[in-house]
Amino acid sequence: MNRSPKGSTNLSGRANIGDRVFYAGLRAVSWTTILLFVGMLIFIADLSWIAIKETGWKFWTIDDWNPPMEIFGAAPFIVGTLASSAIAVMISAPISIGTALFLREIAPRKLAGIVAFLVELLAAIPSVVYGLWGVFVLAPVMRDHIQPFLATWFGPETYFAAALAHVLTGIAYPFLLLADAFGMTSVTLVSLSAKMMMFSQGLFNGPPLGLGLLTSGLVLAIMITPTVTALSREVLLTVPDSVREAALGLGATRWEMIRLALLKTGRAGLIGAVILGLGRAIGETMAVTMVIGNRNAIPSSLFEPAQTMASVIANEYNEADGLHLSSLAFVGLSLFIVSLIVNLLARTLVRYLERGSRA
Amino acid sequence: MEPTLESPVSPKLSVSDGSALETKRLSAWFGDHHVVKDISLVVQKNDVFSLIGPSGCGKSTFIRCLNRLHEETDGASVSGEVLIPGAGRRDNIYASGVDPVSIRRRVGMVFQKPNPFPGLSIFDNVAAGLRLAGVMRRNILDEVVEMSLIQAALWTEVKDKLKKPGTSLSGGQQQRLCIARALAVKPQILLMDEPTSALDPISTARIEELVMKLRNDVTVLIVTHNMQQAARISNQTAFFLMGELVEVGPTKSIFTKPKDTRTEQYITGRFG
Repeated sequence: MNRSPKGSTNLSGRANIGDRVFYAGLRAVSWTTILLFVGMLIFIADLSWIAIKETGWKFWTIDDWNPPMEIFGAAPFIVGTLASSAIAVMISAPISIGTALFLREIAPRKLAGIVAFLVELLAAIPSVVYGLWGVFVLAPVMRDHIQPFLATWFGPETYFAAALAHVLTGIAYPFLLLADAFGMTSVTLVSLSAKMMMFSQGLFNGPPLGLGLLTSGLVLAIMITPTVTALSREVLLTVPDSVREAALGLGATRWEMIRLALLKTGRAGLIGAVILGLGRAIGETMAVTMVIGNRNAIPSSLFEPAQTMASVIANEYNEADGLHLSSLAFVGLSLFIVSLIVNLLARTLVRYLERGSRA
Repeated sequence: MEPTLESPVSPKLSVSDGSALETKRLSAWFGDHHVVKDISLVVQKNDVFSLIGPSGCGKSTFIRCLNRLHEETDGASVSGEVLIPGAGRRDNIYASGVDPVSIRRRVGMVFQKPNPFPGLSIFDNVAAGLRLAGVMRRNILDEVVEMSLIQAALWTEVKDKLKKPGTSLSGGQQQRLCIARALAVKPQILLMDEPTSALDPISTARIEELVMKLRNDVTVLIVTHNMQQAARISNQTAFFLMGELVEVGPTKSIFTKPKDTRTEQYITGRFG
């Protein structure tokens, strides 16, 4: 393929030389990208080497991070990253897709143009500004109003917690039986149910601090919403009008048309849009560092302060050396791997859905 | 987009006997652009009624007014009356209070480009209209899907792969799938907007054959660029030019002894 200038039937020699230079330039540029990627990987792996040798793969399961004691485990940060990103996506996905549908189907064209422009403008606000807003505006509101409200309705002593625990136990029980059949676990139904109860009661437990996991998830949600909305809108715009008209012509109401023509046709693209938002949430550093509370432990409540992989690096790189610095690099490597896994899973999902709708 | 309705209050609106559809002074606009001008015509039950005319003459827009699809386009508007027996509100589909959704269930449509729903299987494509109408019983769905596919002359080709996506079929098969989808809800009238213009000659021939059989069950209005096609399959023909209805009558007389010189020039290929 990349030798095509030789094989191609160019009649003028000058165009041929121009082509060669152009191809060489393109090749150089694309190799630069690949080399940069590999170089970064080697660099960060090298920097992590001491920690990898010292702690090994247990690094991902140790749930303590204590630099003075030289205990380094990344589990709290992995949990923090996944939890805050999950909260962000759960809040942002319905809002974004809803907004995109509104812009595509309901808003008059002029209004849609203005709103779409504003949405894209939101994506251009630097994350430190979102962080500032989170600290000085959102956090006090969370502390004084939202968290007390949530604690009242979803806290440990509510029906919600009890119901959630039962639902989760129901979901987890078949897996328990499966594991049991292979002799892999000794967890009983009683202890499983107790664990789920602890988890459910913990979710909205504890003092309303303002800063913490939930607040960071909310700020992340606001940050990724413009991106996801803009992408979802693009996806919906690619659904041909003929498919919309097929639904309308069949006697579909507006909502039925949206379901039948837009959402079904665009589902792979919409999931792709959400995944890109998720990727952004996983890697986001500045705003999260400002609002998550920075506590190196696995949070048991959404109200508790936590720490993400990105935020711990931002917080500690400045005064770290030796094993500490190497462990931070290992956190960075882990972040890279987590992003990679999430992206691969997402790609598989999108491809699976596309296969369902195409060939 | 609300259509602008300027229907004059006529005391008697019911449709005359034997007609399947009647338009009275039907006009349509895109913004300020007047594309269908004051069309009044009658289509009898079980007609295959073809609409011919050069590109941009308003024939597609005209039939898109007959199931109230035109008004879904931004900036589009309609005036006049379209009478369809049983449509309610004294049978003018543009009377206030008539739900366009109910009209589209009576008046099916097949489009220029085959447009099966990309996310749905062959079966689900045909069943889509029934499900929208609230039919959920599996045995009824099975039966109607099979009947519609037989009616659309597609059953033997797809009966073993009903779970495959509709978009996996060839273009001609997709168009017959769309016809089956439209027929499944048992419309009174079937609108076809140049249904064969994107297809090869063999697929075209199959669809023409199909249309001629369909006339026993449904009234067909078909827009076509292809005058031979109109001559082959229709018994009534209307010639449109610049948004106006120039001539309408039995297909044979339109093609053999047209009354209007413009019709004659068009069918003899002097323009268009």
